[in-house]
Amino acid sequence: MEMDKLGVITTFIHNIVVYNIPLLYGTVGEIVVEKSGSLNLGVEGIMAVGAIFGYIVGCYTNSMLIGILTAFGMGALMGLLFAALTVSLQANQNITGLTLTTFGLGVYFFVGNAIKAVAWPAMSNYSSIKEGFSDIAIPGLSRIPVLGHGLFNHNMLVYLGIVIALIMWYYLNRTSPGLRLRAVGENPGSADSVGINVKRIKYLYIMLGCGIMGIGGFYMGLNMSGSFSSACWINGYGWIAVALVIFANWNPAMAILGTFVFGFFNTLRVSGSSLAVAFPGALGWLAAVPTQLYQALPFIITAIVLVASSVRKREGSGLPASLGLNYFREER
Amino acid sequence: MSFHVVKREACPLWKKACFYLLAVLAALTLGGLLLLAMGVNPLAYYSRMFTMGMVGNKIAYKAFENYLKVFVPLALTSVALSLAFKMRFWNIGGEGQFIMGAIAAATVALKLGSSLPNAVTLILMCLAAMLAAGLYGVFVAALKVKFGTNETLMTLMLNYVALYILAFLGDRKADWNFFLQAESVRPVFQSFADVAAFPKIMLGKFGLNLCVLLTFAVGAVIFVYLKYTKQGYEISVVGDSAGTAHYAGMKVNTIVLRTVFLSACLIGLAAAFKVGTAGVLSTAITDDVGWTGIIVAWLSQLNTAVIFVVSALISMLHYGSVAAAASFSRVDSSFANMLQGVILFLVLTADFFIRFRIVRTQKGGKDNGNG
Repeated sequence: MEMDKLGVITTFIHNIVVYNIPLLYGTVGEIVVEKSGSLNLGVEGIMAVGAIFGYIVGCYTNSMLIGILTAFGMGALMGLLFAALTVSLQANQNITGLTLTTFGLGVYFFVGNAIKAVAWPAMSNYSSIKEGFSDIAIPGLSRIPVLGHGLFNHNMLVYLGIVIALIMWYYLNRTSPGLRLRAVGENPGSADSVGINVKRIKYLYIMLGCGIMGIGGFYMGLNMSGSFSSACWINGYGWIAVALVIFANWNPAMAILGTFVFGFFNTLRVSGSSLAVAFPGALGWLAAVPTQLYQALPFIITAIVLVASSVRKREGSGLPASLGLNYFREER
Repeated sequence: MSFHVVKREACPLWKKACFYLLAVLAALTLGGLLLLAMGVNPLAYYSRMFTMGMVGNKIAYKAFENYLKVFVPLALTSVALSLAFKMRFWNIGGEGQFIMGAIAAATVALKLGSSLPNAVTLILMCLAAMLAAGLYGVFVAALKVKFGTNETLMTLMLNYVALYILAFLGDRKADWNFFLQAESVRPVFQSFADVAAFPKIMLGKFGLNLCVLLTFAVGAVIFVYLKYTKQGYEISVVGDSAGTAHYAGMKVNTIVLRTVFLSACLIGLAAAFKVGTAGVLSTAITDDVGWTGIIVAWLSQLNTAVIFVVSALISMLHYGSVAAAASFSRVDSSFANMLQGVILFLVLTADFFIRFRIVRTQKGGKDNGNG
């Protein structure tokens, strides 16, 4: 009986990771984009496009790697569209991003329904995809009681997401190309005056960031076992990612922590009742909490963080100074 | 040889119109090519879409009534958003404000609808919705004015808070929850269509909902407000430069608060119209007008009169694509969202060529003409 209760906890921790790593991809991608000074509200649509193409191409070629690359490439293409409009054509970033979401979801359903009308690829028929998404235990660490299976026995995309987040943290904060990127986001005029190619940097990192989001979308598709229905795979995760960027203070390493915090509430929504059953004394009250509260919490917390940081105007905020503003050289 | 970009001084109206028209035609052509690739005749599809399946339809008047139900909330929300956008206040919280308005209107209808005359109920519904939405919007404006809180991100967050409040009301069976049907075991929103509904003016078989007339009236008032009143002038000055406005002795904070409140109020009114026509709440009550309205306002260059034309067209796109999907089973109705996206992308591109010119840079860095 006691073991069973621990099992519930292990499953809970495992689920926090499995169901929420796509948030990490979306968040890290958006951090990279925002650090270049662009506020891209198209995360939801970009993830959707990455998801549908990554999944379909990945299945047809029966290759996990090609799936990942396709998702990345399609995400980057959406980024190219965003960059062309906002960097070269000086279009408003809010409007372009929101339209990218509408457009991306349109593409998702259009392509998905068109494929479904012919023959939908079922994930179970494609061995490489199915096995590529199965759990790989990290030797040693995964044997730690309770935590081991929860934290160190996951599919390769979980590890990839964590690695990307750590690399981006290092890259942004400890390397000179990362410094140049941040300079562009803070003050493109000054960056330009010291010989940094602002346009090229913006294009490059918008595409890189959007590509990372695309992989997150692919993950969502695989996590839904590739079953295509009337609800989009991304299901609002793109918007939570936009919120998480603020919560993580534009820091990719903090984004890992933030993913687990937001993921904790998200998982309580799904498995709160099983915790309540396993620990009726201590956690019985969980069953009474409305699921919508868990869904709203990421946004409520982020709103509080937003207000608190603007009240304190504290040093060390990661908010890029020229976020959302287009750079027009002649107006420098 | 290299190029660079300079600002245009001014672009004549006819030229602007040509650019935009070209952009829309190019978008339709791209969509047409996609349809062609799928083996669908684009002309047949488009004619079905833009007539919204009304040609040769015996109950076409019904279809037109339903089309207007899509058009009214969208047009009004877009007009409302344009007020805030004119001031460069990024109210992307239309969804949340709409939901708050809808909940308030439904509360009035359910609590007072059976004891008051229809007209009084409807007026109270509108006022309650406007107040609820207005407060939800002005809250963010107050934070922006007081602390400089980023309004884009803040209104975005509040959209989801509102959405989950509505979802909660639609899901939780309880004694206090008068939004749900008491007799049903499963949670179902209580209808109030029989006690609070906007009247229709019958023109033959076609029933013209009062909301349609009211929407046009509000549009006319806002058009005059922006163009000919002192407050309207203040909005455009603040939008151009808050610094200038302040220097000219305008109370910028008051103007921001007032305008955002008005903007959100009108979104609340749109919600009251929607709820008062549908006769029941739903978790999808907004029909995404808070999002689509942003696109419409921008496509219309924030011009009130143009907003009515553009929302009529975008509603046509959405309503028509569903109608067309009935006869072209291969083309999903999500085609409308894609097309809407492409139209906006190309209009944004056209915008660039209206605002800027590309000039060849001669060797030695001298311009080939300036301004």
